[in-house]
Amino acid sequence: MTQQCKTSKAIGGMGHSIKRKEDVRFVQGKGNYVDDIKLDGMLYMDIVRSPYAYAKIKKIDAEAALKIPGVVAVVTGKDLEQYNLHWMPTLMSDTQMVLPTDTVMYQAQEVAAVIATSRYAARDGREAVRVDYEPMKPVIDPFKALDPDAPVLRTDKPGKTDNHIWHWEVGDKAKTEEVFANAEVVVKEQMHIPRIHVASIETCGCVADYDKVNNHLTMYMTTQAPHAIRTVIALVAGHVGLTEEKVRVVAPDIGGGFGGKVPVYPGYVIAIAVSFLVGKPVKWIEDRSENLQADSFARDYHITAEMAGTKEGKILATRFKVLADHGYTDASANPSKFPTGMFSIATGSYDYHTAYMEADAIYTNKPPGGVAYRCSFRVTEAVHAIERMTDRFALEIGKDPAQLRFENFIKKEDFPWPSPTGWIYDSGDYEAGLRKAMDAIGYDELRKEQAEKRANGELMGIGISTFTEVVGAGPSKDFDILGIKMFDSAEIRVHPTGKAIARFGTKSQGQGHETTYAQIIAEELGIPAENIQVEEGDTDTAPYGLGTYASRSTPTAGAAAAIAARKLRDKARKIAAYLLEVSEDDLEWEPGKFFVKGAPEKAKTIQELVFAAYTNHPQGMEAGFEATHYYDPPNLTFPSGAYICVVDIDKETGGINVRRFVAIDDCGNIINPMIVQGQVHGGLTQGIAPAMYESLVYDEAGNILNGTFMDYLVPTAVESPNWETGHVITPSPHHPIGAKGVGESPTVGAPPAIANAIVDALSPYGITHLDIPITPYKVWKALKEKGAI
Amino acid sequence: MTTNLTKSFDVEQPIDLVWATLTDPPQIVDCVPGASLTEQVDADNYKGYVGLKFGPVKAGYDGLVTFVERDAVNKKMALKGMGIDSKGKGNAEMLMNATLTEVNGMTHVEATMDISITGMLAQFGARLINDVSNQVFDQFVNNFKKKLATAGIESGEAPAESTAEESKSGIGGFIKKLF
Repeated sequence: MTQQCKTSKAIGGMGHSIKRKEDVRFVQGKGNYVDDIKLDGMLYMDIVRSPYAYAKIKKIDAEAALKIPGVVAVVTGKDLEQYNLHWMPTLMSDTQMVLPTDTVMYQAQEVAAVIATSRYAARDGREAVRVDYEPMKPVIDPFKALDPDAPVLRTDKPGKTDNHIWHWEVGDKAKTEEVFANAEVVVKEQMHIPRIHVASIETCGCVADYDKVNNHLTMYMTTQAPHAIRTVIALVAGHVGLTEEKVRVVAPDIGGGFGGKVPVYPGYVIAIAVSFLVGKPVKWIEDRSENLQADSFARDYHITAEMAGTKEGKILATRFKVLADHGYTDASANPSKFPTGMFSIATGSYDYHTAYMEADAIYTNKPPGGVAYRCSFRVTEAVHAIERMTDRFALEIGKDPAQLRFENFIKKEDFPWPSPTGWIYDSGDYEAGLRKAMDAIGYDELRKEQAEKRANGELMGIGISTFTEVVGAGPSKDFDILGIKMFDSAEIRVHPTGKAIARFGTKSQGQGHETTYAQIIAEELGIPAENIQVEEGDTDTAPYGLGTYASRSTPTAGAAAAIAARKLRDKARKIAAYLLEVSEDDLEWEPGKFFVKGAPEKAKTIQELVFAAYTNHPQGMEAGFEATHYYDPPNLTFPSGAYICVVDIDKETGGINVRRFVAIDDCGNIINPMIVQGQVHGGLTQGIAPAMYESLVYDEAGNILNGTFMDYLVPTAVESPNWETGHVITPSPHHPIGAKGVGESPTVGAPPAIANAIVDALSPYGITHLDIPITPYKVWKALKEKGAI
Repeated sequence: MTTNLTKSFDVEQPIDLVWATLTDPPQIVDCVPGASLTEQVDADNYKGYVGLKFGPVKAGYDGLVTFVERDAVNKKMALKGMGIDSKGKGNAEMLMNATLTEVNGMTHVEATMDISITGMLAQFGARLINDVSNQVFDQFVNNFKKKLATAGIESGEAPAESTAEESKSGIGGFIKKLF
């Protein structure tokens, strides 16, 4: 299960922990982010936002703002309406206001934009804009949104009579009901996966630069999907002349995305509109509170979860019913066939064949979204539901949760495994993963220690999560964003001297693509990774792709890189046969050169072959050394993990100490172990975040009660335990390099491990479930209610 | 967000004087820290302004004060205030109910206040609002008692803007330092 490197360290192919090429500029402060871009004559934009969750706009008075030196314009929805730019589509084919003409739908919604010659003047202008509102009673509680007397929020939609967005279901309802009706054991919990925020270090922003003379827009912006954004801009603004060939989107360095930089936010569109109208570049950069309060949130699923099984501990069926709070519009970024993303992975890592899931999405007066946070596709919600219920079932029948998992795992020989909700899991060895995690943490000793502690009334818990992920969207037959299929691309150009530039349709936000893509090409072509320049994010130069999110880059663009490199290796073989005067079949490849079988001294290096492609290529062969590939994956990839968490809880204060956390991941073949480890550490920390700290809280009037980092708790190094990581490797059988993707896994798998550990600690007092984030107060309150303290 | 306060206090003055003062807007507003009357609309409605500081957030509410109830016989009153922040940061609503009873020639006042706040103030000041409201109420009671004690003497002093941190807890000051 360990991975051997096929290339030398000098070539630096797969499996080498080479240092990240991009860090040379980042550690020297030489990154180039959107806010670093300064153009001649650039104007600055700031945004007036609504203090109300739901209100009519009676009047917007810009007079005082316009008197402030430097303020040049105040733009309102009425201004945009003249150009039909006041509404835009969301990625889920819903609609969203760019600026409102008469009604605001959530607190912090954009109301007007102030344009000024400096950022300070713009902010002063924002403070001086006077807006008269007529507040209305908002819909905040999702469970009341469908009440007959609830106000209908989307009156902009003709014929809309309620706050329901869509209904979705999958699985065999009748069979599931039958299994549940006859099951020996049924467990049920109501759970909420709270609304959280990606809280990336860099907020969102852009510089819209419209060139009136050439009718051309260059849009520098914080986007994870530049090509898709270019298409969206053309769809929204094509009618005013900004057709797709006249739009160039550039995503420079990005300081963290996690899905939050997939959507199109109104600020981007307003900046484009203003630049278009005044013919000058316009910069917009959010401040932290704007980012936290108005940008796409993640999660917010209310799940009624049920599991049926035998007294001996065999899982027979699961049933999940979801109420999805999407805020004022459905601005998720899911493939159109899957409004709940890949929530249907919620049958988990277990071998049973009956499941039914349904979901209803509703509108409330909260910011729009449903997107993002290291899993836009709802796998986090799904994994939390199944892993919590697995522990709940074990608790019910008094079985060790590890043992129960071993008895229910899909066996490694059963792959490819068809799930009851329609997925074909590609590969995995769940038993090996859990075994490895248990050995690493010393599971049996911990259970003994726990028994002793319990006898003394001390609270110690052990939690397991053995999750299956689903990433790499996706096969074009099922996956699209606004109709565009979710393939991805790579283009490799090797220069005459054997050095290369490779461009991709994805966009790194810290993942290390400049290094890992180079390693994939080095692996396949033998050109040293250090000689391969990776470029992404400029739609004028990079091939079309759907961007980077949901752990899709390695499964899609990484595969494209491998196949494009193989096309070039095939060409190199032809050139080698020509130069060495042998047939192609007589040649053997080793990383970096072709040699004649049985005569290794008769060889041509890849650099010599590339040079020949420009200087001495065979008659009839196309000159040059370039290849492009658009990779349409045959299936998704299914990374998995076995995580074990140990917590100690202070009974008097409810304080939770994560004593140990072991994470064994299976992300298939590993490109760069150091980068994978970095991804896992970051992901685990983003897993402890919703488990113990993060949740966006709204009061009954729709006020966000933790809209700053003073109140919204993001874990820091201080809160993070020492992550102990390891791997099991089952290569994806359908992926060209056997990789599966890793970015999402830890964020998906960690929360239930932590929640299970905490509930395990509290279970002697009859506590069977606590919603995340599980705070000391929540623990203390639960213990108090149960009379334990 | 909403907060509810219940207070009772005794005033060493005859009930009729207390009632007359408590139901006379110019006099009562004089006792509210940071408040001023700008216009009398009719017998029951008055326009006014309240300036408040909650830690880092300064709010100025232009509002309408309405007597919902002035029952001179039972000495019960209800006062409703609705204010909108002059810079669009949100609004505040307040409903105050007060009942006066005579105890040994003095006056006992039972008062409840329901305060509801929307907007920036609710976001930033959520945890301070209870404390600040309590404190503002206490200041009001003190001012009110003083006013009655010196009844008849005109107070020419303009109402000062109330600042939470200057008068009491260090919380506001602490938060201010953070910004």
